[in-house]
Amino acid sequence: MAEFKEISPNASMGAKLTNWFENRFPTAFSEYEKHMSAYYAPKNFNAWYFFGSLSLLVLVIQIVTGIFLVMHYKPDANLAFASVEYIMRDVPWGWLVRYMHSTGASAFFIVVYLHMFRGLMYGSYRKPRELVWLFGCAIFLVLMAEAFMGYLLPWGQMSYWGAQVIVNLFSAIPFIGPDLALLIRGDYVVSDATLNRFFSFHVIAVPLVLLGLVVAHLLALHDVGSNNPDGIEIKGPNAPMDANGKPLDGIPFHPYYTVHDIVGVSVFLMLFSAIIFFAPEFGGYFLEYNNFIPADPLKTPPHIAPVWYFTPFYSMLRAITSEMMYVLVLCVVAAAAFAFMKSRMTMGGKLATAIVAAVAIALMLMIDAKFWGVVVMGGSVMILFFLPWLDKSPVKSIRYRPDSHKWVYAAFVVVFLVLGYLGVQPVTPLFTRVAQLGTLLYFGFFLLMPWWSRLGEFKPVPDRITFAAH
Amino acid sequence: MKKLLLSLALSVAALLPVVPAQAATEGIAWDKAPDVTNDLPALQTGAKLFVNYCLGCHSAAYMRYNRLRDIGLTEQQIKDNLLFTTDKVGDTMKAAIDAKQAKDWFGANPPDLTLVARSRAGHGGTGADYLYTFLRTFYRDPNQATGWNNLAFPNVGMPHALWQLQGEREPVFEKVSEHGHDVQVFKGWKQVSPGTMSPTEYDAAVASLVGYLQWMAEPAQKTRVRVGVWVLLFLLGFTVIAWRLNAAFWKDVK
Amino acid sequence: MSDTPLDTSKRTWLIASGCAGAAGAAFTAVPFVASFQPSERAKAAGAPVEVDIGALKPGEKITVEWRGKPVWILKRTPEMLASLEKTEPEVADPESKRTAYPTPEYARNQYRSIKPEVFVAVGICSHLGCSPTDRLQPGPQPSLPDDWTGGFLCPCHGSTFDLAGRVFKNKPAPDNLEVPPYMYLSDTRLLIGEDKKA
Repeated sequence: MAEFKEISPNASMGAKLTNWFENRFPTAFSEYEKHMSAYYAPKNFNAWYFFGSLSLLVLVIQIVTGIFLVMHYKPDANLAFASVEYIMRDVPWGWLVRYMHSTGASAFFIVVYLHMFRGLMYGSYRKPRELVWLFGCAIFLVLMAEAFMGYLLPWGQMSYWGAQVIVNLFSAIPFIGPDLALLIRGDYVVSDATLNRFFSFHVIAVPLVLLGLVVAHLLALHDVGSNNPDGIEIKGPNAPMDANGKPLDGIPFHPYYTVHDIVGVSVFLMLFSAIIFFAPEFGGYFLEYNNFIPADPLKTPPHIAPVWYFTPFYSMLRAITSEMMYVLVLCVVAAAAFAFMKSRMTMGGKLATAIVAAVAIALMLMIDAKFWGVVVMGGSVMILFFLPWLDKSPVKSIRYRPDSHKWVYAAFVVVFLVLGYLGVQPVTPLFTRVAQLGTLLYFGFFLLMPWWSRLGEFKPVPDRITFAAH
Repeated sequence: MKKLLLSLALSVAALLPVVPAQAATEGIAWDKAPDVTNDLPALQTGAKLFVNYCLGCHSAAYMRYNRLRDIGLTEQQIKDNLLFTTDKVGDTMKAAIDAKQAKDWFGANPPDLTLVARSRAGHGGTGADYLYTFLRTFYRDPNQATGWNNLAFPNVGMPHALWQLQGEREPVFEKVSEHGHDVQVFKGWKQVSPGTMSPTEYDAAVASLVGYLQWMAEPAQKTRVRVGVWVLLFLLGFTVIAWRLNAAFWKDVK
Repeated sequence: MSDTPLDTSKRTWLIASGCAGAAGAAFTAVPFVASFQPSERAKAAGAPVEVDIGALKPGEKITVEWRGKPVWILKRTPEMLASLEKTEPEVADPESKRTAYPTPEYARNQYRSIKPEVFVAVGICSHLGCSPTDRLQPGPQPSLPDDWTGGFLCPCHGSTFDLAGRVFKNKPAPDNLEVPPYMYLSDTRLLIGEDKKA
């Protein structure tokens, strides 16, 4: 038994109780200090820094509302749709729990996209925070799976046909595709078997994975310390410290940022509540109109579109037509030629690159564009994982980068939004061209980053963070 | 940075009108349904019309009869006037027709209508707008199996359930030259034989029925809005308090 | 920490936000806790049941379902009613005073019903929930005493009840059979599940 800390018998009841716990569960106290009261975060967090804690809030909201929904929801193809209406009409306040969960799903993506964008702008993914970023990308991927499976559960027309289309994408994979799709579905079409396993994954399996990743994300962050809008390290070897060894540019997370984040939470809850209580369908984007019709395997709706948060990636999938394959082949040729002529690899390396490129081109011409669409869609998410190694800028934060970089980021945002918009529209020749251009620009932003991130005149990075007293 | 974001937002917004809104793939543009959500007598009339004219073929399987209390009816009134397909006021509104027979007669089982006002929303307007247009644009068509066609839902398999009220009408089309080829443009209606209601009365009746359908699709809507006002007021107050709390802590940070 | 001057603005706002936060949390909890209540579907399924007893003959017993429970309706003969006088000293709670399954006021009498001839009770033994079997015939029978005047025997643990559902002394069951709320809509129609007080 470890040495117990003694306390004076005259101490207050509260102090004695604290002492009792501290002797038996010192970890609770030391971890609280490490992660809250003695975790020094930079003083200069701006509004972009609310979205991390908001993501955590929305996760909690989804879990709590999810628990209450599962009390009444029936994961059976014959009963699911009716059970959702049961919740909306017969369960006291059921409508509120349902709307909180449906709005929460969309809110989760809004908040996470803004959180990721903050990381993009301020270089929060750069050394030594690459792993924080990787855990974050994993969370994003898992979140997409969670949302996709959750969307099948109401068993409406959109639920059913959206799932049918996406699972069929897996069948595009050569050789193993159809068997894989069969394994995922548990049946020849999306059916009760699919619903039940998606229910199990959505309710328990994936949330546990998500929680684990979130914990890893936060612990890894606290180990290396938070970045800030200036991109300056406040705890580095050159960072100024006070007499107690605490960073001068930092403040304890608790109480300063707990109190700060409460404001963010309150404003978020206002927006969240405004949608839930006054516009829960949000123009058909948060609750799709077609989903108020029970799933009918015999009747396909005229436009099947994924929910809005998947549309940028869906756009890119649809943009890969057989015509587009030729453009992509050209890109591979250009990349191989560049590697051959400009890179500093050995001759052996260059030859290997050429062979790989030749094989890739052969495959691209042989296999259906449908498969490559899936590859591109998957690639558009996976490329995020590589960001820490694509960014070669000498400066972390957008604040000290050349103005031209700001336009590049702006263009990226516009491309992402346009791709998203195109994803909810039906296919037209004009839209396909725009989506194809958008796909090239999206990938260009990342794949050409080792080059463009070094261009231009960088501004001098200050030693101390820019902070104006409140 | 702020200027950049603003110009960004404006440029995206400017692009949107350029891309044409997707027109309905079929049917005429929808009229705006009058708003009767706060008119309890109208909603009650709508309920009566629904039970008398629609429940024969269409179910409203998620709607309980006793929920009609929310639009001002007593249980006794419901029992006396509206319980046709059951004797228990707590039961749901099942259709009178047998599903298999309906499929034989109409080619498809008449769909459940509980959520029709939510599911039919689209680019042309709200679900209520669609229904308001649909129920007022039936016309005689000998080429159809039922003898009826509809301008908002061409080749619909449903006959004009309310024809006795509206009477029979014929749409008048005019040939117009558009972009080089001729198009038939709908100009107006011709009353062929009268119904028991005048056009204004009929429109009002349909408005009530559609208002009822709109309410039935989400009976909690009135409560939702009422509670929402209080929630937002509370959160507004809480935000102010949180903001001052934050300021109280950060004023010492240099 | 106690030697720094008290920061009144921090304290004010901490108290304000603490109270507002607690109020907000309470308001938020209400819908979630309320969702545990019986839903409209449960309430509809548990709605009162109308029973027509016009065809019920003296000595005949029918069973209807209300809230998932069997409810007995027994048309008692004059002999059956007379037996209640004899069982009075043998039963544990002759005046139905116990409150575990409160007997409605209109049934707190010897025959435990509104009208003596018609006995309405929930057919669930007050011991552990089995449904007692009919032993309406008087006379010696297996598992019953020789002076049996008619009633019910629970097969699970041997509790016995008289023809007013009153439990005999020294039996595992502690209470008389529950009398549900009920009322007469007419001489021949009962409404089980609702009484005039509701």
